[in-house]
Amino acid sequence: MADPKAEQVSLSPFMAMFEDFRSNLDEHHDRRERVIKSSRDITASSKKIIFTLQRVRVLGCPVPQFAVKSNAQYWETIGKHIKGLGADLHGVNAYRYERQVTGGLQEFIEALSFQHYLETQTLITYEEATARILKMGELSAPIHLSPQDYVLGIFDMIGELMRFSITSMATNGKIPTGKAKPRKPKEDITEEQPEDRMDIDNEVSLSSESQKPRNVLDDLRELRLALEMFNTQGDPKFGSDVEKKMGVMRECVDKVEKALYSLVVRGKERPKGWMPEVQAERRAEVSY
Amino acid sequence: MSAQSGMVDPAIFQDLQTRVDEDAAVRDELKDLVQTLEKHNRQISFVLSRAHSTPVSKLSAVLEEAESSAEQIVESIGKLSQSASKLPYYKFNSLWSRQVQDAAFNLLFWAWLGGDQDGHIQGRLLTIEELGIVLKIPVNLKDRDEFHLTIEEYLQALISLVEELARLARNSVTMEDYERPLLINRFVKDLLAGFQILNLKNDSLRRRSDGLKYRVKDVEDVVYDLSLRNLIPKKSEEK
Repeated sequence: MADPKAEQVSLSPFMAMFEDFRSNLDEHHDRRERVIKSSRDITASSKKIIFTLQRVRVLGCPVPQFAVKSNAQYWETIGKHIKGLGADLHGVNAYRYERQVTGGLQEFIEALSFQHYLETQTLITYEEATARILKMGELSAPIHLSPQDYVLGIFDMIGELMRFSITSMATNGKIPTGKAKPRKPKEDITEEQPEDRMDIDNEVSLSSESQKPRNVLDDLRELRLALEMFNTQGDPKFGSDVEKKMGVMRECVDKVEKALYSLVVRGKERPKGWMPEVQAERRAEVSY
Repeated sequence: MSAQSGMVDPAIFQDLQTRVDEDAAVRDELKDLVQTLEKHNRQISFVLSRAHSTPVSKLSAVLEEAESSAEQIVESIGKLSQSASKLPYYKFNSLWSRQVQDAAFNLLFWAWLGGDQDGHIQGRLLTIEELGIVLKIPVNLKDRDEFHLTIEEYLQALISLVEELARLARNSVTMEDYERPLLINRFVKDLLAGFQILNLKNDSLRRRSDGLKYRVKDVEDVVYDLSLRNLIPKKSEEK
């Protein structure tokens, strides 16, 4: 401490009180810095995971070995930081640094839900995501994942689904579609509720083809509907965050619809039996 | 119909909707309590503002009137505390933090004027612990998650106190009270010295505390004007 300050220390009767404040505030700022750092590192690792996942081309089966291998270190980094966060975000401080941690958690949900989608073609549930955080951080008490962070992460994940579909259309000439009969009903039983739902649905929505597997666009539309129906009244901050992301989300779905449109309409120009997959120029037309 | 075809389990969003709606209901309930507190804060500052135009000899009436307003503040904070203690503190504290700061300031000012003591001796600072006792709430809680007065809120209230006292120093001179500015001068300097040892980050506390030195200077100017005109009472002249 500088000399003039030391002089004042001896004069002011409030010094002891302020010294106590200082150590409390320093603790708080240190904790805050740690949370910010962890949040940033989780964001960075999640982005790398997503980047690798974008090289996956198949839907509905475990991610290929190359992605598992290259992402292992990033999942590990995230786990380490979640563990660190667990030490700071508990008790009275559980919600204190929400604003600092929200960025990292959203990005993490984006990565987690994207991989989950690629593997199962379903949306990861809030409980599954929470459980995953608990497990990854080897925590005794979970760090709080707010419903808001989960929803906002899902909004971002839609952008990844868009990129995934467009790349797939550009390279394979078709929209990624789930595995047909053998895999799908099995998953429906484990991942979702009743298996008889399949039959009802097929009767209603599909007249000609039965057991048609869903493609990414079907899923995007379904997700879009669910998100549009979500009511954010009563939480102004969340409401404005959602509003911002809603526009981007709609654009993403639009992009996929447009890409699929051009794929179909231009496909018709080709001579019969000329499959889009074998066509090299397709790449240029729907490139992204 | 595609909504049921399988990607999204409808229960996911139903469940999340319920959670978000529950929070909204809690927020509404708290808002009512905070509004009551706001009303009582306005009431006491209305009463206390008369301190700027009431000489010390007649201040008792003002302070006694303020006392009943202070009791209302304590009561409304009590209700807020009761509701809020069931919730995670930092999840909702932004709803009430501003009003709690104002309440803290009002009571600090009232106590500085001598309102909390029989003799009405002015110039006393309630420490955060003392203020907590007056407000009947815990302060700076670390070991459990309940309603409390935070250090940040107390510090914000101190800044408001300095601003108010700078005003009071000038107005005292208008009422030909040449002694009080000296008291204020010493008091705000001591507080400024305290703030100077804090390592504040770039937040609202930092921005407001940056203004403290100007308030202290305002008071110094008043003292300077008084001493220039030989108006400072001999007995309490500064060393």
